[in-house]
Amino acid sequence: MKQHILIITSVLLLLSCGPSSHDIEHEKPGVTRLTYWPAPNPQEMQLADSLVRVWNQNNPNIQVRMQPIPVGQSTEEVLLASIAAGTTPDICSNIWPGALYDYTRAGGLVAFDKFSDFDSVMTSRVPDELLETFRSPDGSIYQIPWKTNPVMMIYNKRILGELGYEEPPRTYSEFLKIGRELAGLREKNKSFDVWMGQRDIRPIWWQRFFDYLPFYIAASGGKTLFDNHTVAFVNERAEAVMAFFRDCYRDKVFPRTFSHQQDPFLLEKMATNFAGPWQIPTIQRYAPHIEFGVAPLPVPDNYEGPIYTYGDFKNISIFSNTRHPEAAWEFVKFLVTPEHDFALLEIANQIPVRGDLLTNPMFDDFFKRKPHMLLFAEQALYTRSVDEVADLKEILDALSQEYEAAAVYGRRSPAEAIHRAARRAELIIEWNK
Amino acid sequence: MTRIGIYILLMVGLIVFGYPFVWMISASLKPELEIGALTLWSSDFSSKNYELVVNRIPVFRALLNSTIVSVSVTISVLIFGSMVGFALAKMRFFGKEILFVAILFTMMIPFQITMIPQYILMVWLGLTDTYLGLIAPYAMTALSIVLFRQFFMSIPQALIDAARVDGCSDLKILFKIVWPLSRPVIVTVGILTFMTVWNDVLWPIIVIRERSMMTMPQLVALFVTGGEAEGQLGAMLASATMLALPVIIAYSFFQRYFIDSMATTGLKG
Amino acid sequence: MKSVHTLISRIRESEKNGYAFILPYIIFFCLFIAYPLIFSFILVFHRWNIVTPMEWIGLRNFIRLFQDPLFARAIINTLIFLVLHIPLQIVIALFFALLLNSAIKLRGLFRSVYFFPVVVSGVVVTILWAQLYNYENGLFNHILTALGFSAIPWLVDPAFAMPSIAIMATWKNVGLYIVLFLVGLQTIPSYLYEAAEIDGASKNYQFFKITLPMLNPTIVVIFILSTIGGFSLFIEPYIMTGGGPMNSTLSAMLYIYNQAFSFNHMGYAAALGFVFALIILFVVTLQRRIMETEDYST
Repeated sequence: MKQHILIITSVLLLLSCGPSSHDIEHEKPGVTRLTYWPAPNPQEMQLADSLVRVWNQNNPNIQVRMQPIPVGQSTEEVLLASIAAGTTPDICSNIWPGALYDYTRAGGLVAFDKFSDFDSVMTSRVPDELLETFRSPDGSIYQIPWKTNPVMMIYNKRILGELGYEEPPRTYSEFLKIGRELAGLREKNKSFDVWMGQRDIRPIWWQRFFDYLPFYIAASGGKTLFDNHTVAFVNERAEAVMAFFRDCYRDKVFPRTFSHQQDPFLLEKMATNFAGPWQIPTIQRYAPHIEFGVAPLPVPDNYEGPIYTYGDFKNISIFSNTRHPEAAWEFVKFLVTPEHDFALLEIANQIPVRGDLLTNPMFDDFFKRKPHMLLFAEQALYTRSVDEVADLKEILDALSQEYEAAAVYGRRSPAEAIHRAARRAELIIEWNK
Repeated sequence: MTRIGIYILLMVGLIVFGYPFVWMISASLKPELEIGALTLWSSDFSSKNYELVVNRIPVFRALLNSTIVSVSVTISVLIFGSMVGFALAKMRFFGKEILFVAILFTMMIPFQITMIPQYILMVWLGLTDTYLGLIAPYAMTALSIVLFRQFFMSIPQALIDAARVDGCSDLKILFKIVWPLSRPVIVTVGILTFMTVWNDVLWPIIVIRERSMMTMPQLVALFVTGGEAEGQLGAMLASATMLALPVIIAYSFFQRYFIDSMATTGLKG
Repeated sequence: MKSVHTLISRIRESEKNGYAFILPYIIFFCLFIAYPLIFSFILVFHRWNIVTPMEWIGLRNFIRLFQDPLFARAIINTLIFLVLHIPLQIVIALFFALLLNSAIKLRGLFRSVYFFPVVVSGVVVTILWAQLYNYENGLFNHILTALGFSAIPWLVDPAFAMPSIAIMATWKNVGLYIVLFLVGLQTIPSYLYEAAEIDGASKNYQFFKITLPMLNPTIVVIFILSTIGGFSLFIEPYIMTGGGPMNSTLSAMLYIYNQAFSFNHMGYAAALGFVFALIILFVVTLQRRIMETEDYST
């Protein structure tokens, strides 16, 4: 009960303070006040805190208040609720592109391309081709790609080395060949229990961010599942990826079991793992003896060109509730300068979405100290996000179910699975019109 | 069938129903690599898994939350359930029969139908992530009212009339005269309510998102399904053991009451 | 005379007190029972993600529901669960209740241990059984392979997953029915058996013509509680399988939960809840009807 009294009093306090702090705002004419919501994790809050302090010192006329996103629910729910209630901040740097459809449909975001210097600012930071993937169906850009966590292949050098492979597999055939060799060894020697890889096979939509989706993006040369709100994954590439995973499960390259086992990569029972940069500290902490390497995802044998992947992007947006869009834009530009992208790298250990990440001498030292991060940084520009469509989760859920049926259990052909997933996705889109 | 045969079969039952729990406690103390083994003993017993759980998730806070919620709900159900039960059994007022039929009817409403609107109500009232959000929807139960009413019917009306003549208020009659006579039903309703709330996990998963407000079963369920256990099997079993422990202790002291109370629900169904 | 008058006036007063006593419940009833029922009925005709305004879509939620393969899947899964769970519970509970009814010593101890899974949280039981069922490292497959059988893909094969959950649920609940059967057995008057003995009836005949019919009320309880339990199955698939493999453990409750809280389709989830609730009421009423007519025939 005490908690409630506390909450009620604090709400009352807030209500009574609300107007008076407004009064203070107007006391100093010419001072603009902005609210900025960073992600509520300690590293990003520390980063935001130091950046905001620098900004406030240099810009006495535009004062920014940092406030972490209220925890409790997911960021997406909090933001959607605050758009509906009109209580959004001015700027937020934890925008997941998969939720953008809901925000824009609710009319919650400011289009960046209406700012006159948008093109010059952005082209110096993000390559056009990547920026285009963040353009909304109405032709505007509501999000600035800020940071990403590309999914790559982490491999155990010892296991591959003992089989005679110095280099990680680059194509499906190479990957399957090593996997089948391991399966053969297990067959011969019952105590040998090393697999090529293992995935959570539960049909949970976000699990596909670590197998089907990044492999599809890689195999199709950077294409995503949708093209301008319509299903665009009925093609040979989609089937090839499905067939690759079917072969993995059929030929015992991956086990078909999963129920809360110990992480086999840490136990050296798994030669490869598909994961983002966050996996590296985990390995270094729990299994520091493992010698591992990082490589791009395997692609179809006849694939040529740069290898893309899926990455968990977190972007910056300005909310249309803001009374000072110009000032907010100034602050956003401040967040994405090279110095502050460096701070993002240094403090939060996350990869900024910058074209010059590998050429700008500013970042050299960091990557020399952390060579694994360099590999993820090299991948970052060849990383795609999820599409901005309605009910993305439900569509990914439908795809998950077909993946499970066709790839994991081989109950239907890859082509049929892709067609069924597409039909269901179209139904879901139709349903939400 | 011989007596020995019967005892052998009963012993098999003992192993089937009891051994998994013993195995769980033993496995939670073993090092990760020995967990798959059949045997209970390990030369390497340690509390490492428990340390990991305690360091990773706010277990003690969750136990406190569960206790606060379960105790509050139980008290509320006992007080309000007995009041309504008393009114239905011993008072005369217009609409009593309709009310009783309505209460019986509410026992038939499946949770599937009320879950979503109740959640929305919690959102509107701002009760998500609060104790009240966990307590309010369970504060009164039809079953408790029915059980109390049934028990109170057997209390002689003369006793109550006599107390009224002596100038006792109805509240006083209920809590000072009737309650002391009603120990069996109070124990039954109390245990049933407490167990239901303590073990409930669906409603907390729906209304609580903030970790510091989570109940113990919820926290453990999310610890195991989410990434926080980092695939450490021993830690998962340790968290499950910590969740089971309070019930194991309470049950070993009051098993008869537990069994009798839970059996009552079955007989009512 | 005076005391009679005060008594009358006190009764009159107590009627008012009656309303005072039920007032908290009336408020509770309006908020947490009447309102959700009414709102649920409104919600089923809308599309709504809780945040943006509600949108009236008539019967489209129901049209979608009858085209939704996952809705059908959830019902089939629940039926598979019930078809295994109910007979298993009756047979096992009856078996142990009969054993306990004949043995005298230590009955309390046996009963307490058998009953223990009933009081333990479903979360504990599920975490525990997920390990026991583990394909490569679980206790069950260790025992099976040690005995020379091949390992069973408990939770990883679509054909085995729901039966595995049904077995686990039986293990968890059966203690309650052992106790109920035991109570039932002890209330059967012994003269019924004595009379049958005199008539020369066999033990089998006695079991089917006296014991079982006398236990019918308990069997009805098992049917009803299990049906409600089957449609409310949530935490078991939520922790163990996430509804897979291939939706074979997608339960009614889990599907409602996914639609409401993963996909934010409040209207559709409410429609699902509405239809599942109707199905539960229908099945339970049907069971009661059938079991009670059987009662008359014996």
